[in-house]
Amino acid sequence: MCNEIICRCEEITKEEIEKVIEDGAQTANEIKRFTRAGMGLCQGRTCRGLVERLIKEKTGIEPQNIVPSGYRQPVRPIKIGQLGLKNEQN
Amino acid sequence: MNKFDVIVIGGGIIGLATSYYLLKSGKKVALIEKNEFGSGASCACDDAIFFQSKKPGINLELTIDSIELYKSLSDELGIDLELENKGGMVLIEKEDHLKVMEDFVKKQKKFGLKVDILDRRDVIKKQPHIRKDILASTYCKEDSQVNPLRVMRGFISKSKKMGLEIIKNNIIEIKEKKDGWKVLLEDKKTVESEFVVNATGAWASEIGKMIGIDIPIVPKRGQIAISEAIPSLGETNAWSAQYIVTKIAPELDRNQNEVYKRLGIGFALSQASTGNYIIGSTREYVGFNKKTTYEGIQLILKEAMALFPIFSKVNVIRTFAGLRPASEDGKPIVGEVEGKKGFYIAAGHEGDGIALAPITGKVVADLINGKRVRYNIEELNLKRFKY
Repeated sequence: MCNEIICRCEEITKEEIEKVIEDGAQTANEIKRFTRAGMGLCQGRTCRGLVERLIKEKTGIEPQNIVPSGYRQPVRPIKIGQLGLKNEQN
Repeated sequence: MNKFDVIVIGGGIIGLATSYYLLKSGKKVALIEKNEFGSGASCACDDAIFFQSKKPGINLELTIDSIELYKSLSDELGIDLELENKGGMVLIEKEDHLKVMEDFVKKQKKFGLKVDILDRRDVIKKQPHIRKDILASTYCKEDSQVNPLRVMRGFISKSKKMGLEIIKNNIIEIKEKKDGWKVLLEDKKTVESEFVVNATGAWASEIGKMIGIDIPIVPKRGQIAISEAIPSLGETNAWSAQYIVTKIAPELDRNQNEVYKRLGIGFALSQASTGNYIIGSTREYVGFNKKTTYEGIQLILKEAMALFPIFSKVNVIRTFAGLRPASEDGKPIVGEVEGKKGFYIAAGHEGDGIALAPITGKVVADLINGKRVRYNIEELNLKRFKY
């Protein structure tokens, strides 16, 4: 079951996340940066918990000690034109 | 085991590149990172290897050699670094910017960089979505990009296999000994080595203070927005002339709006291999504050829409900020510190860290190994700041 998809937006598998932990990633943010898990349209809403569970499985760190990866504004996708800016060229 | 040949401080792209080239030369290396890999600037930046923004001289020379190293690194590290050569354009909207750019291009050409000025018709050919009244642009085929996240991952995994000791901890004290250096960590452990490399980017001056030296590097916050993945809008990556002018002819800035000036707005646009657009950026003096602001992101995106109106219909999905380590004269500080035998600095690359990482690492490794380097490397030494 190694090819289970963990991050659906970026199509990152369990195998890839385990590999990057072996390669030296130790935190949720490092896993995010080095695999792209959590960088897609939903910004990790689906995969955060799963990634944290994999960290526990691979490293033995207790879940309460795992720092979640950062939350980035705008959290949900928003059209640039809706940010309250006037497009002066048009 | 706490004795090494070299202790590299800083797990950003510069520290990792330096560790890698030292390991490759047979040195025993420990790398100390106080936070997460790349958490200062290297993982919060764009992906440009941008020749056109470099003043002719040592920065440009190093960039040319750095890209040669990148070409072989994908194979060496066993990971696709997504090195791409799409070319780059500096979009010119104002007459006075055109004059500055024509002059700048002339100097770059003399130096051997293949760069030209395009008129409106040719600009639109390469950038069909550009605002229709664009004045002109430069074009340089050499401008490239590389995925910094992949470079970092490649360096870490390869270096680990080569025996890199990774220490995630805070440094409390750095002591000079008769034959090297002793570093005391927060967990009370100590590590010793003959050489130390300070590759801590925006934090370089804090590490410098620990051994009683002044390193004139300050953090400059750069905010960036990421779009959803979309098809390509044009042939090349693009920058606004304002970005370059701010860098090379700041006196022309007097006409600029106060807010733009305070935030150091300079538009930079590149598309990652995933299809997401990386839209930057600001250059702000706000200390070590790494937060994004609505004001900064708004203005960056306003620039994007002004130049490429189609962006109003594109989603922004993420924003972040990194701390660019800015030295006083815009050039990195690389080399051994005078009077501190074995203590090296490799920091202060500001926005050029990704472009210059491989060559910086290679040069520092060569210097530590007592090899000759072919640049006038004294030009980058800390002692240039002694008045």
